[in-house]
Amino acid sequence: MKVSVSDMETKKIEKQHTMIGKFRDNWGNSALFSTIFALVVMLLIQCIVMYVNAGSLGGMFSKMGMAWLNILRNNAYQGVIALGMCFIIISGGIDLSVGSMLCALGAILMYLIAPGNGLMAKIGLSGPLAYGLAIIIVIAAGFLFGQINGTLISYGKLPPFIATLGMMKIFRSVTQQLTKHFNPTIPADFKLIASMKIGGQVILPILYWVLIVVIMHIIFTRTAFGRQTIAIGSNERAAKLSGINVNKVKRNIYALGGVMCAIAAVIYIARIGSMDFANAGSGYEMDAIAAVIVGGTAMSGGRGSLVGAFLGMLIIGVMNNILNTVGVPTFLCDAVKGLIIIFAVLVQKKENV
Amino acid sequence: MEKICKSFGANDVLQSVDFSLNTGEICALLGENGAGKSTLMNILGGVLPADSGRITLDGKPVTFSFPVDSLDAGIGFIHQELNLINDLTIFENMFLTHLPRKGMFLDARTMRKRTQELFDKMKIELDPGTMVRELDASYKQIVEICRALMQDASIIIMDEPTTSLTEPEIQRVFSMMRSLKEQGVGIIFISHKLGEVMEICDRYTVLRDGSMVASGKVSDTDIKQLATYMVGHEVIAETNQRETNYGEEMLRLEHLSDNVNFHDISLSVRSGEILGVTGLLGDGRSELFQTVFGAMNTKYTGQIFLQGTPIHMRNTYQALEAGIAYLPRNRKENAILKDMSILDNGSIVHLPKIRRRGLIDFAQQEALFARQEENLHIKMGDKYDLITSLSGGNQQKVVLAKWLMSEPKVLILDNPTQGVDVGAKEEIYSIIHKLAGEGVAVIVLSSEAQEIIRVCDRSIVLFHGHQAGELSSVEMNEHNIMYLAAGGNQNESERV
Repeated sequence: MKVSVSDMETKKIEKQHTMIGKFRDNWGNSALFSTIFALVVMLLIQCIVMYVNAGSLGGMFSKMGMAWLNILRNNAYQGVIALGMCFIIISGGIDLSVGSMLCALGAILMYLIAPGNGLMAKIGLSGPLAYGLAIIIVIAAGFLFGQINGTLISYGKLPPFIATLGMMKIFRSVTQQLTKHFNPTIPADFKLIASMKIGGQVILPILYWVLIVVIMHIIFTRTAFGRQTIAIGSNERAAKLSGINVNKVKRNIYALGGVMCAIAAVIYIARIGSMDFANAGSGYEMDAIAAVIVGGTAMSGGRGSLVGAFLGMLIIGVMNNILNTVGVPTFLCDAVKGLIIIFAVLVQKKENV
Repeated sequence: MEKICKSFGANDVLQSVDFSLNTGEICALLGENGAGKSTLMNILGGVLPADSGRITLDGKPVTFSFPVDSLDAGIGFIHQELNLINDLTIFENMFLTHLPRKGMFLDARTMRKRTQELFDKMKIELDPGTMVRELDASYKQIVEICRALMQDASIIIMDEPTTSLTEPEIQRVFSMMRSLKEQGVGIIFISHKLGEVMEICDRYTVLRDGSMVASGKVSDTDIKQLATYMVGHEVIAETNQRETNYGEEMLRLEHLSDNVNFHDISLSVRSGEILGVTGLLGDGRSELFQTVFGAMNTKYTGQIFLQGTPIHMRNTYQALEAGIAYLPRNRKENAILKDMSILDNGSIVHLPKIRRRGLIDFAQQEALFARQEENLHIKMGDKYDLITSLSGGNQQKVVLAKWLMSEPKVLILDNPTQGVDVGAKEEIYSIIHKLAGEGVAVIVLSSEAQEIIRVCDRSIVLFHGHQAGELSSVEMNEHNIMYLAAGGNQNESERV
């Protein structure tokens, strides 16, 4: 095929022209596109900061590697919770109870596996079998807790904000009361679940997180349940009139959120090895909501992406890292976080009312 | 109002309409849905501009560009949906547009005093301090009228004020209207109910297809004459002339009541049959069939039989499983999933069934949709585009597609041609006929008598949730439908 020089030049110009056009189109139509763009910008800023900080290109790369390892593993629990939250927000709801639920589920897990006085030890189980059983029980408990939220919202017709605000208080206070005289420790080998070193680094939490992102993405994009979630968030009445069992689907959406909390609780306990029942998980609901929103999911429901929630968590993580490296006072970090969240929603495509 | 013309696009809604109203007179404005009544009144109320024509008030020409202009000129418009704030008191509602103040605070005493004065004058026994929430529909109507009076209205437009009222409430509003008349206020009364027109009005004006067809004194006419004016003799609607082949009975309702929207409804529809259910606004037909479909969550008495077995639908999912499909009215609020693609909108109903190993079988989804697309002649760009990119008619077809994919036994279509252009309407009609030919029991709910005559084999007319009558073959004409829908008695000799 022969192409003359002038032809090639015009094509180049055309392409450039359409690239700007495409950029604009994508920005307007795909929430994920703007999230990826924001992450790339953040990465570039991080590179510059690290370069200035390290003084050399080699130093920059090693610092970047460490920084990313930390970003990924330190945000794994909130990241997993954010995936459940993303489903809930796409369905037009919200779940404020996730942080307290993580704490309650963590307490249950510790009660099950504590050496000596734990339930598993009492019935004579130990080792991987006991841990596996305990994890299954905790996940079932998370499912049940989520079902409680979902039942209040679907059958009780409570606004999600109110129902989950109430459950948030209940989970926290009951957990604290019941663990008043309970000073649990956890078996050292249980910690291996998250803390076992692979290649000299703790990367298991990262692997779990990414695996769950993939599974949740498939559930969202490739199952009828995922489509029904979008339908409910988009127009609940139309969803109901389309023969969707809205109450049941909603209950399952919140139950899925509960399961995510259970998984986060397992990773949390295995990584940290203990839990402060007064504070563990507090504020996680806001971190998760922030990640979902920064990831381009509409607060009004109907539009969003699970991968976006993952990237949103990374954006917040990178930002924290940059702020620490630059030396922004700790108290001001949250202000910058707040600004980023507001900005993320400002640039989102909005509907005309 | 003289020679008022208005068109929306190529659609002439009003063609040189004249309308007049004297002081101290109640004039009825009549016409079928879409005759142009609302448009005419919206022009008078300053909501819409007229394309041409003149409005004179007390001999002076006036122009209204905004609702405020018309309000200032003394025209009060009471819309069908009342504009009161439930959580405020009566007197606060009365002064909502400009609340009188005393320094920084609201002058409650003045508001209360002036409201009380007006109520005394109108002989209304209401405490101005009552919360509007606690009033029944008729008193709300009366408060709205008083609010218009408070703004010195000399003309009051009432758009179907009685549709949501019970008989004693209607009488209360009527006595209010009579005392207004005595005080020289002119009232324009828009209604479908001819009995009420005969009772309360002095003069009438009938619009049909955007033109004034009759006008005169109510005392010189009767209900039958008015109904004929509204429908028109020359309009002979195309009738349904398909070959019918009925099978077994599919759906039967026996004495179904929810005591709010519908009362003692009994009907049955057979496989291959097209049953029309019609009536005017507030007839309860949507609520009736949403109850059948399990979408209402209200208690009802009576029984529903599907193929002879009694059923009770607790939710729409059960109805879907049982083979009942319901295409709702108001597509935008009730049927469109605006954030989803054409393909997803068209297959959302059937989606849980299209799966392989727990995941959606996309190939099958596309194949099933392609079949409906061809079947219904859906015109669209890319099937992955948002549903909102389509025209109204094509959106409606996609909504229809989602139900057809589930292959229902009973298909309930509520206003299936709402907001659809003429061409697409005909297409939808032929789809309905084809479906009936394939053995589906179809129920068409519509407020357009012409549509019922055009598509249905048989029709049931509702009046305020009661079964006013059943019509078939030659008896099913616009006159009879209008007559029954407006509250006429089936046994009277006025039927033609």
